[in-house]
Amino acid sequence: MPTATPMDVFKGLAWVIAGVLFISSLRGLASQETARRGNGYGIVGMVLAILAMLVAGSKDNVVFLIGALAIGAAVGVTMAQRVAMTAMPEMVAILHSFVGLAAVLVGYAAYLAPGHATVDSAERIEIWLDVLIGAITFTGSIVAFLKLRGSLSGKPLLLPGRHLANLLMFGASLAMVVPFATLPGVEALPFLLAMTLLACILGVHLVAAIGGADMPVVVSMLNSYSGWTAAAAGFMLDNNLLIITGALVGSSGAILSTIMCRAMNRSIWSVIFGGFGADAPAGGGNGAKVEGEMTETTIDELTEELRNAKEVIIVPGFGMAAARAQHAVKQLVDLLRKRGVNTRFAIHPVAGRLPGHMNVLLAEASVPYDIVLEMDEINQDFPRTDVVFVVGANDIVNPAAQTDNTSPIYGMPVLEVWKAKRVVVLKRSRGAGYAGVDNPLFVAPSTRMLFKDAKAGMEELVTKISA
Amino acid sequence: MRIAVVREALATDPSPLETRVAATPDSIKRLKALGFEVSVESGAGQAANFPDSAYIDAGATIATDARSNYADADILLKVRPLRDRSDLGAHEVDLVREGATVLGFFYPGRNTELLERARARKLTVLAMECVPRISRAQKMDALSSQANIAGYRAVLEAANRFGSFFTGQMTAAGKVPPAKVLVIGAGVAGLAALGAAKGLGAIIRSFDTRAAVREQIESMGGEFLEVTFKEDGDGGGGYAKEMSPAFLEAEYALFRQQAKEVDIVITTALIPNKPAPKLWFQDMVELMKPGSVIVDMAAESGGNCDVTVANEVVVHNGVIVLGFTDLAGRLPTTASNLYGQNLVHLLTDMGGAKGWKVDFDDEVVRGATVTHDGAITWPPPAAKPAAAAPVAAKPAAAPAPVAAVAAPEPIKSTGGHGHGKVAREHLGSARTAPLTWVSLAILVVAYLGLSTSGNDASGLHHFAQQLTIFVLSCFVGVQVIWSVTPALHTPLMSVTNAISGIIVVGGMLHMHGDLSHPAPILALLAVLFATINIGGGFLVTRRMLRMFHK
Repeated sequence: MPTATPMDVFKGLAWVIAGVLFISSLRGLASQETARRGNGYGIVGMVLAILAMLVAGSKDNVVFLIGALAIGAAVGVTMAQRVAMTAMPEMVAILHSFVGLAAVLVGYAAYLAPGHATVDSAERIEIWLDVLIGAITFTGSIVAFLKLRGSLSGKPLLLPGRHLANLLMFGASLAMVVPFATLPGVEALPFLLAMTLLACILGVHLVAAIGGADMPVVVSMLNSYSGWTAAAAGFMLDNNLLIITGALVGSSGAILSTIMCRAMNRSIWSVIFGGFGADAPAGGGNGAKVEGEMTETTIDELTEELRNAKEVIIVPGFGMAAARAQHAVKQLVDLLRKRGVNTRFAIHPVAGRLPGHMNVLLAEASVPYDIVLEMDEINQDFPRTDVVFVVGANDIVNPAAQTDNTSPIYGMPVLEVWKAKRVVVLKRSRGAGYAGVDNPLFVAPSTRMLFKDAKAGMEELVTKISA
Repeated sequence: MRIAVVREALATDPSPLETRVAATPDSIKRLKALGFEVSVESGAGQAANFPDSAYIDAGATIATDARSNYADADILLKVRPLRDRSDLGAHEVDLVREGATVLGFFYPGRNTELLERARARKLTVLAMECVPRISRAQKMDALSSQANIAGYRAVLEAANRFGSFFTGQMTAAGKVPPAKVLVIGAGVAGLAALGAAKGLGAIIRSFDTRAAVREQIESMGGEFLEVTFKEDGDGGGGYAKEMSPAFLEAEYALFRQQAKEVDIVITTALIPNKPAPKLWFQDMVELMKPGSVIVDMAAESGGNCDVTVANEVVVHNGVIVLGFTDLAGRLPTTASNLYGQNLVHLLTDMGGAKGWKVDFDDEVVRGATVTHDGAITWPPPAAKPAAAAPVAAKPAAAPAPVAAVAAPEPIKSTGGHGHGKVAREHLGSARTAPLTWVSLAILVVAYLGLSTSGNDASGLHHFAQQLTIFVLSCFVGVQVIWSVTPALHTPLMSVTNAISGIIVVGGMLHMHGDLSHPAPILALLAVLFATINIGGGFLVTRRMLRMFHK
């Protein structure tokens, strides 16, 4: 370092503290008791970092800067207050796109910054990397957002030769780093623009090829990308705080993606490159055709069974989220628990469209979290459960995952609901699940089907049971 | 279409009287939903505790004229095979309309003359005991539904005659040992008996020639008795086959040894269309302690025990031998309810009132139909081998309401602690994948950095520093995130999302310069977007976290 002013020392100190606060923040998220404090640490760290920049940074355009900060914060806060808990996946996806966009803009700003006439190849490469990841994150997140909102179909878009196309696009943007890193001044700009365009298309294409059932992985992967892009910006700007934070977020997202992939028994590569799962599952088949008949039940019968049960486990799935039935479910649980029925929830790691989606919805309906259990915690309890009530879930309770090695979901860990004495499945229609796989659970002798909208069915049930 | 339900027992019948009825108020509600009209002979449900008024409430009409009740019906629901109605002076075969359908137990093998009379009247007879024992037909399997009840009742009958507790007790006056119950044949009835005996606190053990039922016995908390001779006795369809003489010798030796120990023996061995096998000989009875009880559930087919007399209580050498053949009928309400549901399911399978069809392509209907359209259709052609395939994941051997005990895997109950270990192991292997990832990312960055920093020594040094920070941060991230509970994955994502808004610093670094230049404008925009992210991310996390409570 040439000369360190007191301001630099102050900035450095503030950033170290901010970095520590960010780590504490993630650490705090480890459990429900400390999670709120964790979020607090994050906020303090962020405010500290921004204040340090304001105090120690350039004072040019400071009015505009503060204006932008104020407007941005106001917009963000409004969005966060308005969003419904069921729309959380979309919210997270669109926020990711902002990070990507910001990274692209910062990259361009760095390139176009005054006094950049000389060519510093190393810095150019870092700019290139920052813009590349940023642009992929940006457009990928927008597609994910549209898919989650339902504006785009959840079906994977599978163009012929898509892997080749991806490879070509990636190769072309890679090739552009050479002229971009060597040409002086603004002459390199066309290459940067072309690369950005390619990366944008690549982002759209990558996410479009991923099926709706894989969305939890996609969202956590975009989360990871948004971290790596911040880290790349850190290298570009010689800023350690960005490197630290980016690495934290990047590895966090990568771990989440891995956890999700494991929960779905998918290879991470097949999710990243998209569409793999759609054409050739490991077993090479679509699973054994399920024969047999579903036995329907009625609200009256279910009421009777729930009243007489001692142990009840509710398994929520995307159907509950889609029908916004979580409040009715909570009422049902209250009624049953008041009657002395031990009622608990079993959550599969990929239930819903976001990691932990069901937990958030149940928390919104103020279900206490100590009766909401993870798959590993509750799987051994099913054999001594009287009634398992599956609300709008399908693939995550499919026994074919354990028994049928030709099934596309073979090997995926599932909730072993079929071991219970009675399984009641509340479902909108007779159709297959998101993965398009038949479910032998539905025709099992101990299973009863209730074909109803999750919310309407729940409310009817609540009325009956409280009567 | 009109369904008729009739009285099963007549005052003049020899004991035991049939107490069951083919339709109950519950099942009639479901029959009505299928579109049937139902008329019930007055007093039909009396013995099963269903008064006429309950049938009226369920939507049935009560027929006071028993004759026209038969004559007007399209479908007759029965429990026992068609019989002589001495009070009406006619046989049921002749009382029903020609061409009508009859559902009930029929035993065509035993009742060949009746079968011929039904054929001559062009009746369609579905014999409930002939419903194929395949997964899909479990809900129509009346043999299983009744055997389950009979097994339960067998234990109660034994307990009633037994001179001691079933459960062991330490009392002030002294110790009472628990009763030892041996159940021979762990089919539906056997498993139900095991469950009931266990529930009363007895020590339960069971013998079966089919090795596959071992898990089911053990899952009930019973001991599976084995002979030192290998031969699997699975005869298909949930029955056992007859075994070789050498095996039988070993089996009898085991029984003689058990006879000295156990207090209660319940035998359930049946072979389709043959007399029940004798397996508990007179000398075994004589080996047992006085006051012991044997319940021979095969009494109707001749009995498994030498000294059994059907429908009688025999005391031989102090051992009480019960030969009741109406065990299921001794729980008439539940037996009727479950049997009624079996019939409802079969009628549903046949299309209900609207889509009514005797469909010989339907394996279940084909198997159960013994006469149709003036022809005898029994025995049915051999079932396609593929028939057993559906839901084969489910136990093949237990077409039973007690099927819960026969989960595809034995319940590997490890208590509360086992799963923790499994979870940790899982975690351990999962840890490696993201590490490979992160390392890969590091390698790429390192390569790019080193190859472009050229010979500039200080640049290289600087880059190495940054790389160190990057790598360490990645590892910190990995360590920290692994401890996050899955329930908080969504808040985790939104908080990391907010934190990645730190890119705002990047924007702020480029704010210097005149606003007419593109760089500060782009930077300004970056600041704007990044701040949306920060504000939105943290607030949304806060909202979510506030909802989590104990």
